[in-house]
Amino acid sequence: MVVKIIQIILSPILALVVGVFFLGLARKIMARIHWRYGPPLIQPVIDMVKLFCQKSVSHGFMFDLGLILSLAGSIVVVLFLPLGGIAPLSGSGGLLVILYIMLFAPLGMALSGGQGANPNISIGISRKLILSLGYEVPLLLVLLAVMTRYKTISIVEVVSAQQSTAWSFISFPLFLSGLSYFLIFPAILGIRPFDTASAPQEISSGPMVEYGGKYLALATIEHAFILFISIALFVNLFLGGAANPVIFFVKMLAVFVLGLYINAVFPRFRIEQAVKYLWKWPTLLAFLGLIINLAMRS
Amino acid sequence: MSLEILLIIAFGGALLTYLLGKASEKTRDFVAVIISLSMVAFVVCLYGKSPEQTFYSGFLGLDLVLRLNMLSWFFAVTIAVIGALSVIYSLSYIKTREKTDFYFLMTLLVNAAMLGIVLAGDLVSFYIFWEIMSWSAFLLISYNKGSALAAGMKYIIMSIIGSVCFLVGMLSLYVSFDTLNISQIASAMTSASPGHILFILTAFCIAFGIKNAVLPFHTWLPDAHSEAPAPFSAVLSGILIKMGTYGFLLLLYVIVGLKLFLGLGRGLLSFHFILCLLGAVTILIPTFIAMLQNDAKKLLAWSTVGQAGYIILGIAFGTNLALAGGIFHFFNHAMFKALLFFAVGAVEFRAQTRDLDSLGGLAKKMPVCFIATLVGICALIGVPLTSGFVSKWLIYRTLILEGSPFLAFFALAGTWGTILYSYKLVHNVFLGQLPEKYKDIQKSPASMQLPIIVLSLAILLFGILPGIPLKVINTIGTSFGFETLNVTLWGITSETGTLNTINIFSALLVAGIIVWIVFRLGAKSVSVPQEDSYAAGAHTPADKYHYTAEFYNPFYRMIKPFLRDVIDEFYYWIASSVRSLAGNVRRIYSGDVGYYVMYIIFFLAALIFVQMRWKIW
Amino acid sequence: MDRNQITKWLKAPAKMANKYSLHAIYFCTGCGIIEVPPVITARWDAERFGVIPVATPRQANLFLITGYVSVKTLRAIIRTYEQMYEPKYTVGFGSCPINGGMYWDSYNTIKHLDKYIPIDGWIAGCMPRPEAIFIAVTHLWTLIDKEMANGYIRYRENYNSYRRNQELALGKLDWPPLFPVSDEPQGNEQ
Repeated sequence: MVVKIIQIILSPILALVVGVFFLGLARKIMARIHWRYGPPLIQPVIDMVKLFCQKSVSHGFMFDLGLILSLAGSIVVVLFLPLGGIAPLSGSGGLLVILYIMLFAPLGMALSGGQGANPNISIGISRKLILSLGYEVPLLLVLLAVMTRYKTISIVEVVSAQQSTAWSFISFPLFLSGLSYFLIFPAILGIRPFDTASAPQEISSGPMVEYGGKYLALATIEHAFILFISIALFVNLFLGGAANPVIFFVKMLAVFVLGLYINAVFPRFRIEQAVKYLWKWPTLLAFLGLIINLAMRS
Repeated sequence: MSLEILLIIAFGGALLTYLLGKASEKTRDFVAVIISLSMVAFVVCLYGKSPEQTFYSGFLGLDLVLRLNMLSWFFAVTIAVIGALSVIYSLSYIKTREKTDFYFLMTLLVNAAMLGIVLAGDLVSFYIFWEIMSWSAFLLISYNKGSALAAGMKYIIMSIIGSVCFLVGMLSLYVSFDTLNISQIASAMTSASPGHILFILTAFCIAFGIKNAVLPFHTWLPDAHSEAPAPFSAVLSGILIKMGTYGFLLLLYVIVGLKLFLGLGRGLLSFHFILCLLGAVTILIPTFIAMLQNDAKKLLAWSTVGQAGYIILGIAFGTNLALAGGIFHFFNHAMFKALLFFAVGAVEFRAQTRDLDSLGGLAKKMPVCFIATLVGICALIGVPLTSGFVSKWLIYRTLILEGSPFLAFFALAGTWGTILYSYKLVHNVFLGQLPEKYKDIQKSPASMQLPIIVLSLAILLFGILPGIPLKVINTIGTSFGFETLNVTLWGITSETGTLNTINIFSALLVAGIIVWIVFRLGAKSVSVPQEDSYAAGAHTPADKYHYTAEFYNPFYRMIKPFLRDVIDEFYYWIASSVRSLAGNVRRIYSGDVGYYVMYIIFFLAALIFVQMRWKIW
Repeated sequence: MDRNQITKWLKAPAKMANKYSLHAIYFCTGCGIIEVPPVITARWDAERFGVIPVATPRQANLFLITGYVSVKTLRAIIRTYEQMYEPKYTVGFGSCPINGGMYWDSYNTIKHLDKYIPIDGWIAGCMPRPEAIFIAVTHLWTLIDKEMANGYIRYRENYNSYRRNQELALGKLDWPPLFPVSDEPQGNEQ
């Protein structure tokens, strides 16, 4: 019981630390790819301290509440994810509950941004929602393939099944689903080529145009959590999870650096190009993966 | 308390209201509300009893039977409650129109007819009440003249086609089994041949599918629900559609029985799979179409078509959890769709428009409607803590665990589409900047706020304590022959993991409080008016700086060619085929007497041939 | 650069964070903006000092006025400056904001920008080299350390005179005053 409480307190803190570390690492690696030095690794922390000390502007009650709701949702999702041995609330429904609570994040941002009454916010949110519809179609097919193959909806069981046999990413029918997940991975994270929802040059940061001060700090923390959740889900479902947190984070690091390489090279897709891409090849691969899984099971 | 008295009070009350309305308005309003509330009270008092009585013998040699079992009770309680709330809501909604007596008569008549449908114990009384319901609904849909007349016409034609199919099925049953009493047919059905069962199922499924707006037959719904007056739209979407659901439940579980239903056909070509597939496609395509609508009520109407797909999928899938999910989703959908229609109707009442492109910023002016819409949206999406989550979770669980991931994919993708159009509704109506012309808009009247508040509280209550309706649904499931689920007050426990809403609720609450504390630790924030927004250094325009028109335009541009060239073309093709077929049949009337004599002689020759060959007479 | 001295962080975290996380707003004022892209990209990397460009004044706390200010631009500059959050710092870049520079006798430019919005520091030149932006940033750090970079406090305290100067230059202003204004006449405060 005490162990469980410690795990419940520890996992969001761990997620926060790793997420913020990834944000700093992203800036450093992008800078090195650009042949420049880049900020120190703790630059996001400096930014957040400054943002918390800055006065800010609020557009109403819903403006605050939406952001709090979105961040609370992300923290709760982290509680349901196993992080290499730490799995606090894993018995209460598994993958489906995660899929459900994951939708608090864009919903909260959307409700908060609606109060801002700025067309940049509305355009940004409409793009974000259309993009999520775009990547949810292949993502659902991928997750259903995983659930069908391991005949369970609990992530802990998926992880332990992989540790006894082999990683999903290299086992035959799930290799297609893993490839499809990797193809839609930048869309879930919101990095290039799919960062059209918060494009600084086009729509002045989209939903974050009116965020400053502590709001921007919370939005950055939210971004860190979403990074963490998406990468952790991938590692758990396809790269075998891990028995202890250290190996888990090493795997997350590898996946994240690969994602950064994609981010450094590609320009930004328009929203309809993005959705057309997401519904073409990744969906086809995920669909094939699901059909082959079904055929192999019966 | 016998069932006939219930129905007599319901129908008589409708007539009484109409007559009293000629005398005075206040008594009419009072009597209408009293009648509806007494219906609720009567139905609630009948919980747990199951009377069955013949109330009229000798109608063409058949007995007309009324009966009540747990399934009927569940439907009846929903009908009574939503009907009563709709009557309370219409008190101020209808006040400024003409022909209000007619409106009250028809509303009470529809409610009474729906009660009659669920209390009917044999197919003839079912059919009588079904027809009364369809006709009074038609008259109410056409209540606002103008484009509502065309919408009503579409509705009544498709409903009549459904009723004719129902008649065909009914007559086939009578000819085979010589009775129309539902329980007797159920016991006699085990001796029917599969071909006959298939025919009965098809005939009845067309009838109930048209009423329930399953995909090929859904075309009447968007126009009808958006043109009807708002309280009646709530009744239409909430419970009238679900009369088709009740029909499906009667058909599949009571009359035909689950074993026979699942045994028809095999593999992918079975009736069971085709019905599930229709349900799944009904979830997906109308949800995408709802995203593109610019009329608030039409968006909600397309959303109704989509959610009805969930119910059909749950019912047709055939397992314990799926049935529980489907019936619970019926109950939830009635509550939150009625809530959304009430809220949007209040906005329409005050702002005189439903156009999503021109509304905006009404959150501060109509706060009750805003919060109600938020709760309704969260229930529609299936956010944990609302009752929609429980019903959808049951359906997903069973689809995944029973090995139908494609159907699960349709259901889950439908949820994401739901998020998109729900956000569009909330954003374009309530969030954002208030246009100049709505600066003096008033709040909704108290008699409109009451049903809205009641329904929001009910959604939250059944979301936190889903055990209350689940217990009733469990009884229904066991009466169909399933084994019982372990229902606790907080959810369902089964051998493959628990659904524990209280876990999620407390986790969210604690996380929210922690984030709020961190939020307060930051520097204080200044409240600024909404006009002080980033506009690249320029002044924000006075009237509207809020983007609502063509909200999902990139997506619309992507799927518009598909909608226009494939789906619209399909329906045009059906219409033109029917027209050309009718045109060809018309050619029989050539106007030339010689042809008519030839027809008569050929027909007599055919009859003589049949008699000589097969000796029928 | 004392970014890695933990004791200073623990003693005054707000001051240190304000120094090492200056987000500059992407406002391209005049001809000097051509000197800024090499600074923020790989040629002279400004991100190692914590300076990145952001797209909206709500997220910014450094405003570089790079070049001449015409009357039309002054409206945008004032509105953008007022939409930034406190604490905020402004740097005048080039000779034109200081005293009119090359356009000292033009009818359409503003000669002394300091009358309309408070400026914390100046870099002279026509145009200064991109490295001068780093000189500006490091000098700004020194000023923040000594608590002398208080342009925003001056703006708040003397808002009356700033607003009157703005009205004199631009005519009727179509945005409400940021701080409460009093109506008594006051001397021309510099």
